Amino acid sequence: MTAVAHVAPPRSLTTAIHHTFRLMQRSVLGRLRQPAALAPSFIFPLFFAALGSASFQRMSKLPDFPATSFLNYTAAGAIVQGVLFAATSSAGDLATDIEQGFFERLLVSPVTRTAIVIGRLGSAMVVAVAQVFVFLGIFMAFGARIETGIVGFIGLTVSGALLALTMSGLMSGIAIRSGSPEVVQGSFPMVFALLFLSSSFFPRQYMTGWYKTVASWNPMSHVVEGMQGFMNQPLDVDMFLRAWLIPLGISIVSIMFGLRALSNRLAAQ
Amino acid sequence: MTSAPIIARGLVRHFGSGDNTVRAVDGVDLQVNQGEIFGFLGPNGAGKSTTVRVLTTLLKPSAGSATVAGFDVASQADQVRRSIGVALQDAAIDPLMTGRELLDLQSVLYGIPRDRAQKRGEELLERVGLTAAADRRVGTYSGGMRRRLDLALSLVHEPSVLFLDEPTTGLDPMSRLTLWEEVRRLNREGTTVLLTTQYLEEADQLADRIAIIDHGKIVREGVPRDLKSAVGAPTLLIDVDASHTETARSVLARFGDLRPTSEGTLGVGLTQGAEAVAGVIRSLDEAGVHVRHLELNEPSLDDVFAEATGYRLEGAESKAEAPPAGGRRGPR
Repeated sequence: MTAVAHVAPPRSLTTAIHHTFRLMQRSVLGRLRQPAALAPSFIFPLFFAALGSASFQRMSKLPDFPATSFLNYTAAGAIVQGVLFAATSSAGDLATDIEQGFFERLLVSPVTRTAIVIGRLGSAMVVAVAQVFVFLGIFMAFGARIETGIVGFIGLTVSGALLALTMSGLMSGIAIRSGSPEVVQGSFPMVFALLFLSSSFFPRQYMTGWYKTVASWNPMSHVVEGMQGFMNQPLDVDMFLRAWLIPLGISIVSIMFGLRALSNRLAAQ
Repeated sequence: MTSAPIIARGLVRHFGSGDNTVRAVDGVDLQVNQGEIFGFLGPNGAGKSTTVRVLTTLLKPSAGSATVAGFDVASQADQVRRSIGVALQDAAIDPLMTGRELLDLQSVLYGIPRDRAQKRGEELLERVGLTAAADRRVGTYSGGMRRRLDLALSLVHEPSVLFLDEPTTGLDPMSRLTLWEEVRRLNREGTTVLLTTQYLEEADQLADRIAIIDHGKIVREGVPRDLKSAVGAPTLLIDVDASHTETARSVLARFGDLRPTSEGTLGVGLTQGAEAVAGVIRSLDEAGVHVRHLELNEPSLDDVFAEATGYRLEGAESKAEAPPAGGRRGPR
């Protein structure tokens, strides 16, 4: 060794993209190498879907039911559950990095700081896309159909990725602020409550009272209904507006929250 | 590089505010010269790691200034990061990745071209004896292997200055010796090393110069041999029955300065040298003190530490422990 410092090229957009991609790759690998941590994001939504299909199959015969079968109805909700679950776990990994010191290993290197967060968000999106493929494959194997065909398939995939972006941005912010995987996991029930207070499991037209009011104001209902539209109805613009634009809009806020949390953490040091 | 690779002037880092303020680093002046192994010695909570975290840009100084590799740690943090290698305490390495993957990632973060990174990665794996384990996940590595990988990761970009924060804490004696040898080898090749440790032997064996830090302040600095010589007389340690402690203390005081020791032991710096031992024994016997154990020690770094701080380093925990910084762990 010559003991002369290797001077890396100055930071540029290319460098930032490269750092982001490699950190995203690391996060995805980390997810894949923890099957026990990834499994619940598949098992629980499928369990709820199986339970719902077995219990409420005859609900699809009710007037105005928005799907040809309960299985077709519940697919979107299952995807949303799975994606939110996995995105939370991904943010939990970020908190683990902070807790165990890997985050500091990154900070002591000339890594582009935003790549630490954006790479994590990117990995959540990649996992979400894979989840949509797996969920749709399983649902279709049991008789579900995507009424809007390939366009609907793409619609559902993009929507799943955007939801993952939204959730992981929010949870990454919590991870960076707290530095605790337990706090991240502890925040998830609030999201789950949001899911239960939406039309993920039952159509809004069958709800009554405060439950219906809350579900109608809940943006999650509109995202899920947009995704249900891809599964069950003829293609129209409303599906894209609800399944894409709502999560896209919220994701901008949640990404800013995540990056602000990073900026605050760095400033506090 | 014309100036010293590491210079700190009046470096301060405090945590908290108001009545809860803890000055973890309290006016540290430091200069580490080109090609030195510099040992930073002190107990847990003395301020060693906090100083290293400031010098490696992980923490901003509250006051004072520091340059590393010629760059200011506060205003030129990015240049500092490109010039230094850092192996932090606990070898925080992703257990889910393999050694080779981590080296590859590290190379990307430092902007090393792919072909060069591969060659460098192989060199480093061989150097730290991890070639055979390179494709195994780090979670399966032993503590010593993790430390060696940590060292390899810190060397990917051929830094001119290397920070090792308690690199051998928790390692078995064989792993410790292996790591020491690697540090010496790096130093022979021209790398300046700042090493924090709470092990006296480590500082004594490795460091060209040391600084002793206690309660955030440097209390002694110099070449280990000179520091030990300055302490002067050899130390006589004796164990006596608890009922004879006070009598023994008054007898010992006639032969030199009483020195801080661990509980249950009395120590005296023999101003007339080792020749005075026979006289001490005779006097204790005449005073009716039964000596259970006796030991004569040449001055050690622990004596230097004790002389400077009033307590022994071994088993010591400084009272300057700072509160946790962020979500991870408190500075040391």
